[in-house]
Amino acid sequence: MTELSLFLGCVAPNRYPGIEVAAKKVFSRLGVELADLEGASCCPAPGVFKSLDKVTWLTLASRNITLSEKKSDDILTICNGCFSTLKDANDILKEDTTLKKEVNSKLAEIGHEYRGTQDVRHVIEYLYREVGVDRVREAVTRPLNLRVAVHYGCHLIQPLKDSNLEIADKPTFFDELVEATGAISVDYTDKMSCCGAGGGARTAVLDATLKIANKKLEHMKEAGADCIVDACPFCHLQFDMGQSEINQKFGKNYDMPVLHYTQLLALAMGFSPEELGIAMNAVDTSRFIEKVKTETLENEVCTSV
Amino acid sequence: MSSNIERCYQCGQCTAACPMAEQEQAYKIRRFLQMEKLGLKSEEPMAIPFIFYCTTCYKCQDNCPQGVKIVDGLLSIREAAVRNGNILPAHRKIGQMLMDSGHAVPGNEDAKKRRLQLGLTEMPPTVASSEKQLNDIKILLNLSGFDQIVAEEKA
Ligand code: SF4
Ligand code: SF4
Repeated sequence: MTELSLFLGCVAPNRYPGIEVAAKKVFSRLGVELADLEGASCCPAPGVFKSLDKVTWLTLASRNITLSEKKSDDILTICNGCFSTLKDANDILKEDTTLKKEVNSKLAEIGHEYRGTQDVRHVIEYLYREVGVDRVREAVTRPLNLRVAVHYGCHLIQPLKDSNLEIADKPTFFDELVEATGAISVDYTDKMSCCGAGGGARTAVLDATLKIANKKLEHMKEAGADCIVDACPFCHLQFDMGQSEINQKFGKNYDMPVLHYTQLLALAMGFSPEELGIAMNAVDTSRFIEKVKTETLENEVCTSV
Repeated sequence: MSSNIERCYQCGQCTAACPMAEQEQAYKIRRFLQMEKLGLKSEEPMAIPFIFYCTTCYKCQDNCPQGVKIVDGLLSIREAAVRNGNILPAHRKIGQMLMDSGHAVPGNEDAKKRRLQLGLTEMPPTVASSEKQLNDIKILLNLSGFDQIVAEEKA
C-alpha cells in the first residue's frame, strides 16, 4: 500500500535533485511509503500563474490532484509554492461547485475528473503531525552538532492559517523538527521574513529580491548559523544561487550552506552529504561537509560508548 | 477567488510591512489598491511593471486592520493588466516554458547529469517523461486560452 504520492514540482527535480533523493530516503527510513506521482506537471506556481490567468492555474492544479485521486493517495509536497497552489486549489474546488463544474468540463477532454477525495500535505507539516517529533528523533542515528537558521517560508505558513492557527501563529513546529536531529535552531532577527523570490518577483526584479535575501542572510550570519535549513526548493534556490549573485553584484562574501529539511534529516540518519547532493550547491559546501563528517563521527562514538 | 478590497480604508499599514516597498520606492501596495478601488484608469500605465514586483509574502495582509485579502486583490489587478497586453516579457517566457515542457523550470543538461550522479532517472518521473501527459497539458492550456496569453505580440 502506498500512503502518499510525492509531488516533485519543478525546482527540486530540475535544479536541486538532492532534495528528491533525500525526501525518498527519509520517508523510507520512517516507514512511510512514498510513490512517484507520474505525469505531474508544474503545480503551477501560485504567484506567476495566478497573475496570468486564474482559470488556467486552477485547471492545471486540478489535473495534478486528479493524478493522486486515481491512486487514492494523498499528495505530499516538498515545496511551499506547490503546497500553496495544490492546497488552495483543492480547497477552492471542494467548496465551489460552479468552478468545479467549469474545471471538470475541461478535464473531461483529457479523460480526467476532479472528485475532491484526497488531501494535500507539506513535508514539514506531515512529519510534525502524522509522524511526530519523537519518531523523527528516534530515527536519528548521527546527531548533528550544528547551529541552524530555520527559514519557514511564507507559503508554508499562509496555507496553514485557515485551518490551523495554533500552528501558524507563532510557529515552532519546524524548529522542533530541526532540533530532533540534534541541531540547535538559532533565533535571529526577522526570522519569519520572506526570501524575496516568490510571486514571480525573482524573474521580474532580481536585484530587489536579492536585497531582501541579503537582509535575511545578514541576520542569519549575525546569529552564528552554520547553515540555512528551508522547506522549499525555491527559497532554497534564492538563498543558494542568491548568495553567489549577491557576492558578485554587491561585493559580499557569503558562503552559507543551504539545506532542505529532508537533507538535514537524512544527514542525521547517517546518509552521506554527497549522496544527498549537498556538494552540488552553488555555494561551496566543502568545509561544512568536513565539519559534519568529523563532528558527527565524534557523536557516533560518544553515543556508542 | 474574489477579493474584498472595498474594505480598504487607506491606512497604509500594508506598505509599512512590505519588504518590497522597503527596497523599491515605486512599489506601493496601498496605492495600487486605491487605484483599483477607485477605478483610476489613468494611473494604471504608471503602475506597470511595479505591480509585478510583489513576492506574495502576505506580510501586508497579516498587518491589515481591515482583513483585506490584499494578495488576491493584487493578483486580480495583475490578471487584468495581463489581459490588456501588459504581460512582462520575463513572465511570458515562464508561461511559454510551461506550454512547451509542462514545467515552469524545465530540466537542462546540468540537471540530467546531476540526476544521474545521484542515482535518479535522467528525466524526473513527471510530465518530462511522458509525451502523452505533456499532450494532455497542452490540450488544457489551449482550452483556457493560455496559448494566446503568452503568445508573442505580432509585429
Ligand atoms: S492595511 Fe489594509 S486597510 Fe490599510 S491601506 Fe492596506 S489594505 Fe487598506
Ligand atoms: S505580499 Fe506583496 S505587497 Fe504584501 S507585503 Fe509581501 S511583497 Fe509587499
